[in-house]
Amino acid sequence: MLKLTMGQWIGLGVFLAAIFIAVPALIAASGRTDFYFTLTSVALLSIASAGVWLMFYIGRINIGQGAFALIGAYVSAILVTKAGMSFWLTLPIAGLFAAFVAVLIGLPILRLRGVYFAMISLVLTQVVTLTALALPITNGAKGITSIPLPGAISIFGLTLVPDFASMENSRLAFYYTACFLMVLTFAAMYRLVNSRLGHICRSMQQNEELAASIGINIAYIRIVVFAISSFFGGIGGAMFGSIAQSVYPSTFVVTDSVNFMLNCFLGGLGYVFGPMLGTLVLYFGWDLLFESGKYQLLIYSSLLIAAMLVLPNGLLSLRLDMFRRSGK
Amino acid sequence: MSALLEVKAVTKRFGGLTANHNISFDVAENEILSVIGPNGAGKSTLFKMISSFLPTTSGEVLFKGERISNLKPHIVARKGVVRTFQETTIFKSMTVRESVIVAQHLRAKASLAGYFWGSKTALADVAAFGAYADELIDFLGLGDIRNELASNLPQGHLRALGIAIGLATDPTVLLLDEPFAGMNHDETMQMVALVKKVRDDRGVTVLLVEHDMPAVMNISDRIVVLNFGEMIAEGTPTQIQNNEKVIEAYLGSADDEIGV
Amino acid sequence: MEQILANGIYLGAQYAMIALGLTLIFALMNVLNFAHGQMYVLGGFVTYTFYGQLGLPFVLALTMSCVTLAVVGALIEKFLFGPVIRRSAREESTMLLAAGLAFFFDAVILLVFGEKQRGVPKIVDGVFNWDFRVIMPYDRILICVLAILSIVAFILFMQYSKTGRALRALAQDRTAAQLMGVNVERYSMIGFALGAMLAGLVGGLLVTITGINLGMGGPTSIKAFMMVMIGGAGVISGAIAGGIILGFMEAIGLAVLSQYGDITYLMIFVSLMIFLAIRPQGLMGKPWG
Repeated sequence: MLKLTMGQWIGLGVFLAAIFIAVPALIAASGRTDFYFTLTSVALLSIASAGVWLMFYIGRINIGQGAFALIGAYVSAILVTKAGMSFWLTLPIAGLFAAFVAVLIGLPILRLRGVYFAMISLVLTQVVTLTALALPITNGAKGITSIPLPGAISIFGLTLVPDFASMENSRLAFYYTACFLMVLTFAAMYRLVNSRLGHICRSMQQNEELAASIGINIAYIRIVVFAISSFFGGIGGAMFGSIAQSVYPSTFVVTDSVNFMLNCFLGGLGYVFGPMLGTLVLYFGWDLLFESGKYQLLIYSSLLIAAMLVLPNGLLSLRLDMFRRSGK
Repeated sequence: MSALLEVKAVTKRFGGLTANHNISFDVAENEILSVIGPNGAGKSTLFKMISSFLPTTSGEVLFKGERISNLKPHIVARKGVVRTFQETTIFKSMTVRESVIVAQHLRAKASLAGYFWGSKTALADVAAFGAYADELIDFLGLGDIRNELASNLPQGHLRALGIAIGLATDPTVLLLDEPFAGMNHDETMQMVALVKKVRDDRGVTVLLVEHDMPAVMNISDRIVVLNFGEMIAEGTPTQIQNNEKVIEAYLGSADDEIGV
Repeated sequence: MEQILANGIYLGAQYAMIALGLTLIFALMNVLNFAHGQMYVLGGFVTYTFYGQLGLPFVLALTMSCVTLAVVGALIEKFLFGPVIRRSAREESTMLLAAGLAFFFDAVILLVFGEKQRGVPKIVDGVFNWDFRVIMPYDRILICVLAILSIVAFILFMQYSKTGRALRALAQDRTAAQLMGVNVERYSMIGFALGAMLAGLVGGLLVTITGINLGMGGPTSIKAFMMVMIGGAGVISGAIAGGIILGFMEAIGLAVLSQYGDITYLMIFVSLMIFLAIRPQGLMGKPWG
């Protein structure tokens, strides 16, 4: 039951056409197939960032999404390599496992607020990295490598998704899969935020005591949202591991957790599609700055600081300002 | 007089400090009862314990014979005892109408997942919330500012909004936290009228903590007086006005506060 | 046993200094300074340059570390954090800024000093050996003593100087301090400079023992966060307690758990989570609603 205006339907159509038709066509025409990897990464990282954004929506600064992405990546990798399961089956399991861990950890730490929650979530990324190094099943620093590509999905003999290994262009297949998951994620986010659930989340973001006083079970909602957020992290991480065909403890580290948070900031915390745009700009910006060689990090961080000073409400706030000026 | 809410031998200690000592009183149905006392008498601590925002050290609070102390705040709200806050505790970036809509959480019939999928019950809920929000907003005289952001409202309107949010939960007992604090005489009288209207028209029992004596004398059916964490008197406004202990307590702290 | 105790004091003293700087900045401006570890690294490199490269006396090099970081801290507060805090009340904004700054410092350090691990000549030679019960090189003992002296000096400064009292007033209640006539903007800047200076000072002290490299920034910040959480954010005694506790846990962990592989920090993290579940405000922090 999505109630969209005419303009929104058109926007959605243009967006879908762009990512599913225009981008592959442009890449085929230009021969820059390396963009597939970049764009696939953007799609997957924006799924994980969407989870972080959802946590902002209930007033929690989550700098621990790297932990759940890493958990998802390992769960999928272990199930595929050790148990021989189909990747497609491990994908939801990875998400659910990440959500399960989030519930266990969330019970104590979601009571913390503000910078306290931010600090502990940051520490969490480090914990998971260290756990991956210490456990036998994750194979320590050597990680899990040579993960087979996703196999086929067929129902009643009808092949819905072909075997990735038999394809001549598995990059395109990964791109489509990642984009499909991203569209699904953001559709769910949009629906959630624009339903009464979003309203409840916002009430908690603005004042938890008042929300509790009107009968909202804030502890329960916090756990549910943290679980959804981590589910997104797990899915994104699992898919990422599958593309790279390897997972190491360093696949997602503290810097990645910080980047997920930055993606949300940059896109704008007030906009559902903020994390998508933020991820695109940050990831592409970083790639484009590769040309600048050793000054890459310097320029990147300076731009980040400048963005904070000039656009404290994120990139999407620009669009709204333009609307306002043109009298809408 | 049947007791709706019973405060039974409630005590609160913070470390070595006793904020409330052995407080007991009843609130009858459809009554306006005020808890008053000089600053630091332990009013707000008691208030928080009744709404389960603080656990008691000993003693208990009963509502319709059921214990409501030492629970989670949202469970107490669910049972029908709802508190309001002072005006800084609001949903800052929501409009008046949005605040009153979200506050109808306890009136919801659909499940959380129902709202996500847009089930029939959920759609009916959403429509009902909107209609009831408008009714409450008009009842409390907030019609002109229904689409204002809460952060832009003046103090008087914020208090009324606080009461609107509380009423939106369909409470049996409404606990008001210093509803007249910082108001001038006219504003106070308007607020007194509003609280009386809430009791008379909506049948809500009201328990409030306050230190504005004239307003309390005007509004209350009965008054409980605290001083240094002890309950020193209980009775009708006339009884309290003539109670020597009360006069002494107030004269001992600040002469101007009594003002009766 | 004595060795663990000695190691604990040595680690605890240096950690406490790092945590003090972080907690001071947090208490004054409610800013979680992600770049704190990078400031520490920068301090190390300044001492490395003046003492290790240019051959100036160690004390002078250490002073340069302090001065450099104090100036950097003051500038950051004046031109970045100050304006952002004034414009936006959300603590998220300052966090983004701090994260950007951490990357920025990394970039600057990378460009100026490179990625390599750098060390400096020992400041004192020889090893203290008490009957093989406590073995500790003299330079570690010296650094430990200097760290403890700095902490004592810091506490005395906060307690008795006019600036220190103003900073404490500011940390307790910004609005009230302003009403009392404290120049909030000036003291915010001083406080930030002081916090950054502490980070630089530890960096300068420790470069003589562990050396310094670019990658030490992030992990140092994380350790500092942990100490602050153990002790309670924004509380000076809490930062010291947190530093000492973490120092001892690390010393004990390395002695006891090393036979099971590198799981000391994992155990510390897990116990921190359990501790925070029971006491979210830390040991000495104020309980909050």
